[in-house]
Amino acid sequence: MIGQRSAWLLIAPLLLVLLLSFVVPLVLLLPTSFQEYQPGQGMVAGSFTWENYLRIATDGYYREVVLRTLGLGLGVTVLCLLTGYPVAYLIVRGHPRWRLPLTLLVIFPLMLNLVVRSFGWIVLLTNRGVVNNLLLDLGLIERPLKLMFNMTGLLIGLTHIYLPFMVLMLVAALQNVPRDVEAAAATLGSSRTHVFWSVTLPLTAPGIIGGSILVFVLTISALVTPRMLGGPTYQVMATLIYDEYMQLLDWPSGSALSFALAASTLVIIWISSRMTRRWAGMA
Amino acid sequence: MSDMKPTLPISIVALLVVAFLQVPVLVVVLTSFSETSYLTIPPQGWTLKWFAEVLSDPVYLRAIWNSVILAVSSTLLSLVLGVAAAYALFRKAIPGSEAITALLMAPLIVPSVVIGVAMLQYVTLVGLRGSFLVLIVAHVVITVPYILRSALASLSGLDVSVEEAARVLGADGFTAFRLVTLPLIKPGLVAGALFAFVTSMENVPVTIFLASARQTTLPILIFSSVEMGVNPGVAAISTLLIIATVIVLLLAERWAGFHKFV
Repeated sequence: MIGQRSAWLLIAPLLLVLLLSFVVPLVLLLPTSFQEYQPGQGMVAGSFTWENYLRIATDGYYREVVLRTLGLGLGVTVLCLLTGYPVAYLIVRGHPRWRLPLTLLVIFPLMLNLVVRSFGWIVLLTNRGVVNNLLLDLGLIERPLKLMFNMTGLLIGLTHIYLPFMVLMLVAALQNVPRDVEAAAATLGSSRTHVFWSVTLPLTAPGIIGGSILVFVLTISALVTPRMLGGPTYQVMATLIYDEYMQLLDWPSGSALSFALAASTLVIIWISSRMTRRWAGMA
Repeated sequence: MSDMKPTLPISIVALLVVAFLQVPVLVVVLTSFSETSYLTIPPQGWTLKWFAEVLSDPVYLRAIWNSVILAVSSTLLSLVLGVAAAYALFRKAIPGSEAITALLMAPLIVPSVVIGVAMLQYVTLVGLRGSFLVLIVAHVVITVPYILRSALASLSGLDVSVEEAARVLGADGFTAFRLVTLPLIKPGLVAGALFAFVTSMENVPVTIFLASARQTTLPILIFSSVEMGVNPGVAAISTLLIIATVIVLLLAERWAGFHKFV
């Protein structure tokens, strides 16, 4: 056993690093988001305004970006769920021999550099890219489809990026489904499909919810893939924050948007953890 | 009947989805060996010239060096700080250990781009902008949750009495930890360290706000160069990264049974 004194000594270095380079920077960002910004001059010292936050809700452009970000999150979550469930099912219920290779093939893209995966999608989706060339050669289309710098590109790219997380969550959930419950339902005369919809699927609900929250939160905070596949014109919240800091130098507006984004993710995670806790209490 | 095995259509859909996951990787590799700067199917002509180009470009070499140094030093630092903290938390010797764990895991929840801009403003304020040490510390912040999580998970599966037996037999606290506990949690730590390394190696949203031109990392270089369109040099460097990832994954699987920790 270790005493309290040595325990504090063990934990103090990390705690100090986190406080000084994570907590304090975030706290210091808060006043910035209430400052006025004068184009060409920068922040107005000593000013206080709600304008940076109000703009997110009232300005047409900001509202479009926020709604697009949330819509993207929803779309990617649904796509990951629909494509991830069969994969998880095959991994858990398929032949045991397939289990390890399939799991490794799902993890492999996850371990690959994010910029490399996004770059791969650029090669595929750009105007003269692999997909368009193939469709043109086959005579299926007459001129290149617009697959990048729009919602299509972001949906495809981000679904690919976050699908492994969804599969891993669903695999864990499916493994926890007691097989004898399914067997009981089947013995009592349920058809296969009925057993799946009324027993298996509800029992994997925690994994479905957990995976969906994870994918949604990761999608709305993503910067790299939306920027690489959406370019500087098709903005989401994270890319807009990036531009406000690096191009426009409008830090007050960028920091307000940062807090809006961070708050949305925290609220979603908080609600979901309350929901699952209540759920667990009921069972 | 009804052992609920996947039906043939479900298996086919699942295999197609797994194939979809590999497509961008294959395309990148093919592009890097292809003569034309735009990949055609089938590729026309094979070449290694993009690799030669990239590996003789000092900008790329410097970026690779920066990335490796940054990832190695932040992973090691995270490992030391994280394992020490996890050990203290695991022994529950500290009041409020749950709140502390939540704080230490928080960098996983706050969007990276927000951490990035917060740190940008902070280092500008304290006049440390452009310091490589700042980059290392920033990467510790974003990688330490992975170490902590795997260390806590490994420790919780541990039989405390084993270490206590060592203490009874006369080992001091650190020796007991080093000779008994550490070897037992090693596989989990390898997995955690691998995640930390990969996270540092691919980070853009924090690094891009903090790195000066000389400190550019490989992902930042790729991220900013694609704004000029598809470049086979980027494909070549990406292929090298893919090969490195495969080797590391295979080693980790060999060494620690990596897939059990995901």
